[in-house]
Amino acid sequence: MDFWVEFLGSLLNGLLTTLQMVLIAAPAGVIMGLLLGTMRVYGGRIISSISFAITAVFRGFPLLVTLFILFFGLPEVGIYISPFWAAVTGFVLCSGAYISEYVRGSILSVEEGQSLAARSIGMTKFQEILYIILPQAIRRAIPSISNEIAYMIQYSSLAFAIGVQEMFSVSKTFNSIYFRSVEIFSALAITYLAIEGIATYIFKIIEKRFRVPP
Amino acid sequence: MLEVENIYKSYGNVKALNGVTFSLEKGETKVIAGPSGAGKSTLLKCINLLIKPDRGRIFLEGEEITSPNTNISKVRQRIGFVFQEFNLFNHLTVLGNVMIGLTKVKNMPKEEALRRAKEALEMVHIEEDLWDRYPSQISGGEKQRTAIARALAMDPVLMLYDEPTSALDPNLAAEVLQVIKELSRSGMTSLIVTHEMSFALEVADEMLFMFDGRIVHAASPVELLSNPKHELASRFLRLGGGNGFLG
Repeated sequence: MDFWVEFLGSLLNGLLTTLQMVLIAAPAGVIMGLLLGTMRVYGGRIISSISFAITAVFRGFPLLVTLFILFFGLPEVGIYISPFWAAVTGFVLCSGAYISEYVRGSILSVEEGQSLAARSIGMTKFQEILYIILPQAIRRAIPSISNEIAYMIQYSSLAFAIGVQEMFSVSKTFNSIYFRSVEIFSALAITYLAIEGIATYIFKIIEKRFRVPP
Repeated sequence: MLEVENIYKSYGNVKALNGVTFSLEKGETKVIAGPSGAGKSTLLKCINLLIKPDRGRIFLEGEEITSPNTNISKVRQRIGFVFQEFNLFNHLTVLGNVMIGLTKVKNMPKEEALRRAKEALEMVHIEEDLWDRYPSQISGGEKQRTAIARALAMDPVLMLYDEPTSALDPNLAAEVLQVIKELSRSGMTSLIVTHEMSFALEVADEMLFMFDGRIVHAASPVELLSNPKHELASRFLRLGGGNGFLG
């Protein structure tokens, strides 16, 4: 019985850390994705290229490598960040890169007529993007974005590799002490599943809230 | 109030507009007719600067809008444009579509914008029960009338209609044409591209016939009916416009 009290207590702590990382990284990743995707489509040659480069790099690097660069690499050039913030930064960069592509795709899917109509009533390019194009593009991107966040909840476990005491790290430590892999990793898996369930539900509400009749 | 002087526009080797000149007085309505590819739509889009002409000048209320230091947004606010495909904003309700230009472009307070939008919707006979619907939930005729209201709400000095009923069934087209006619009769300066011949003859002060990027004939409906000299114009009249005209 002692084992379960101790394990579940620690798992709960790990859960809180995981949630903290995701709750910070998810909105930040979405914002970064929106910015990168919009810059990619509407930026001039330079801005568009910068956005493309950022996207290419952080989609190209395995996330684990990005995390190692942030945590082990940056101190060598004098920048120190805690494991927690290194992980959050890595998740934001990775999800932002992927989300930017979803956003870019959905911006391109908005019909040309919407842009013509916006301009015909005197909107500037900026107003057109902000009030006409993005509201439609974001709605179309919500299912893909929720998919990316679902994935982020899972890849948040990679933070164990740079020493963040999140759920997976805690479970791994317990397993190396007690060798009760079936119980430990089943409990861990069920916890991830529960978070995914809640995330899916939240995204369902968001999708419904902003739904426009087809 | 609108002077178009010698406008040219080419796409590669294709000359869409080949020296177009005409003018429109305040309160006048002119209809542009002609076969597909004659440059009608291009001409209309040049006037509200959605297309930049290669050469030539356009004056709106005495001000040259083709000059490089023109504030394009300000010019477009004074010109209502109605598209063949309606182009209502899909994510906004009927009321939202009409209000957004007022609140975001004209920076009007919400209550004033609402009042102005309702007036515009009443002018195009869009009843209150449709105001909260989305474009996908209304008929084509209602969409086009909402699009006209969106343009009208901005309080334009000139309305441009680019084949406003070509995407509509005849019965839905009729309600849209009725609205355009009412606006024209009430003194709204209008330039209309259409294949609806009987409507054109009824509403136009003058008809401009375009062919190959030029205005090849201009005449009032009365002149046309009594003496359809020009071959293109007479074919237009005989064959009833639309596809007959093209054949």
